Amino acid sequence: MTSLVPSSIDTAVGSIEVHRGGEGGSAPLVYLHSAQGEVPGMAFLEELADTRQVTAPLFPGFGGSDGLQHIDDIEDAAFHLLDVLDCLDLPQCDVVGLSLGGWMAAELAVRWPDRVRRMVLVNPVGLYVEGAPITEIFGRALSELAGELFADPDFPVAQLMRAMQDMESDPSQIPFDLVRPFLQAQAATAKLGWNPYLHNPKLRGRLGRITAPTLVVHARKDGIVPRAHTEVYVSAISDATLADLDDAAHLAPLERPHEVAKLVLEHLGD
Amino acid sequence: MRFFSFHLMPYPDLPPDYAGPAWVTCPNDLFDPRLGGELYNRYIDELVEAEKLGFDGVCVNEHHQNAYGIMPSPNLIASILARLTSRVRIAVVGNALPLYDPPTRVAEEFAMIDCISGGRLIAGMVVGGGPEYYSFSLNPAHARERFAEAHDLILRVWTEPGPFEFIGKHYKLRYVNSWPRPIQQPHPEIWIPGVGSLETLEFVAKHRYAYMGIPYFHISVFERMFAMMRDACRKEGYEADPLQLGWLVPIFVAETDAEARRRYEEHFWYFVRRLLPGINISPPGYTSVRSVENIMRNTGTFALNLDTWDEVVEGQYAIVGSPETVTEMLAANIDRLGVGNLLGLFQLGTLPAADTKQSLELFARDVMPKLRASFPGTVASGTEVPTPTPA
Repeated sequence: MTSLVPSSIDTAVGSIEVHRGGEGGSAPLVYLHSAQGEVPGMAFLEELADTRQVTAPLFPGFGGSDGLQHIDDIEDAAFHLLDVLDCLDLPQCDVVGLSLGGWMAAELAVRWPDRVRRMVLVNPVGLYVEGAPITEIFGRALSELAGELFADPDFPVAQLMRAMQDMESDPSQIPFDLVRPFLQAQAATAKLGWNPYLHNPKLRGRLGRITAPTLVVHARKDGIVPRAHTEVYVSAISDATLADLDDAAHLAPLERPHEVAKLVLEHLGD
Repeated sequence: MRFFSFHLMPYPDLPPDYAGPAWVTCPNDLFDPRLGGELYNRYIDELVEAEKLGFDGVCVNEHHQNAYGIMPSPNLIASILARLTSRVRIAVVGNALPLYDPPTRVAEEFAMIDCISGGRLIAGMVVGGGPEYYSFSLNPAHARERFAEAHDLILRVWTEPGPFEFIGKHYKLRYVNSWPRPIQQPHPEIWIPGVGSLETLEFVAKHRYAYMGIPYFHISVFERMFAMMRDACRKEGYEADPLQLGWLVPIFVAETDAEARRRYEEHFWYFVRRLLPGINISPPGYTSVRSVENIMRNTGTFALNLDTWDEVVEGQYAIVGSPETVTEMLAANIDRLGVGNLLGLFQLGTLPAADTKQSLELFARDVMPKLRASFPGTVASGTEVPTPTPA
């Protein structure tokens, strides 16, 4: 396991936190996180960094990344990502995105197809599919949400979410330092996905512009994004394949780091 | 001291077996339109009655998709009141500005009410409650920005000759030129309700508006909130006028303390246990992180956590008792909080019309005159008392 080292870089919207580590691979690997901002200490990224150069920027509003006041919607997010790639001097890279990060990866790839060599989308949001709504994530009880994000109720993060729920009847008892990052991440996610709810109505029609061979991963126990969404991605992107993951839920890379890393590395090749 | 009668217009008939929230997703087949019609008319009568009893004003407010207050358009009610009354100030507390697109609609409707009432409108402006951002699918992360921009636009509509162009971030209007304009010049008195968000307090202080503390918290929360408001005014270089502060509180008066509690308690609990659930959802980005920290300190004392009547009395969540008791408790709090506006919620939850009427009458006859004598001064600084126009 190769650790990633945090640092900060200056972008047009402000200073953002980037975690980097590892060497190797035909192209640098960029990881785009979900609404959980799961980058720091993530075993999945450490495993990828054993054989690849891995870069994981934190989106404004997550961790130590500033600049959310300059971002209003997914359009701004796409241009921010382009800026990040330029700041990091990554003319072309492999992009792996989870959920919200998968949506951002697709928005990047439809606008600037040449910047993305190969791509992996894990349980991506970003589309509206009639009859297959994305589960509500805002304003939900954390204890309920835990069951949709994780396959194993005893997974540590799932346990933590339930413990926080128990404290909610008297929030003044929760140390505010624990709450602040959660609130900021929620606000950032709301800016991109409150309405239209976690999708861009224009994205589907643009997916044909993506040139990168793309793997779309669906976790069978995902309680947030129905499989129909992965199917639309796969049918609309010209070179795309679908992989199903057993015994994993929405945050599969957190819960099944080794299995997801294996799928990613197989797809990206050397 | 100014006295207002505030009506939420609650829905009193949620079935006993309904245990869900009263907000956003409360199924609307529980709303009986015929009963709704009776309620609207009864509640309007209760507000009109306040003028006859000598109150200085009446208050209505805006909430959507809920049983707590069935008044999605307070401006409709206010315009009826403008016609049916001739003396009282009509306070709309307020319009949720970000829900109006474009918000010139607020400037127009408020100007209409001001014209119809002969210049008696108090223009309340509010960000809108957390639940409204679900009910409107409006992005809560833009709530404060939209509010500030809409406010600036409305003030320009009232004070600048039109037509003019307004190009903001959220609203882009090439021809702003409201017909009508308000009677009150340069504009109607402005009230802003709040629960202690720092941005709101600073905004109110900066513009020298009046701040209305929203109820259902322990009295100590109001004390802290109004102290913060006074601090915010000092930072702007002036001392807050008591008429810039308003305290909204449920009040019930009966002949004796025991009688008051006996007749009131169940209606109060209906309000707390059936109508409040769901009111306190705070969507992401709705409140700045620094304000959330401040507000979270108060949430333990929110009325939803009340279990016993002793807690209600101790925290003064409602002022209930004989005229003597109510006078004494209100006087002590007006003094302690330093407020110049008392906003009484006389009807609450399931409280029937007869009890509401009697409580209002006792308050007007035996409480209000004493409080007026103890706290003289009734005119907001810089605000003219309008000449009544016969309806």
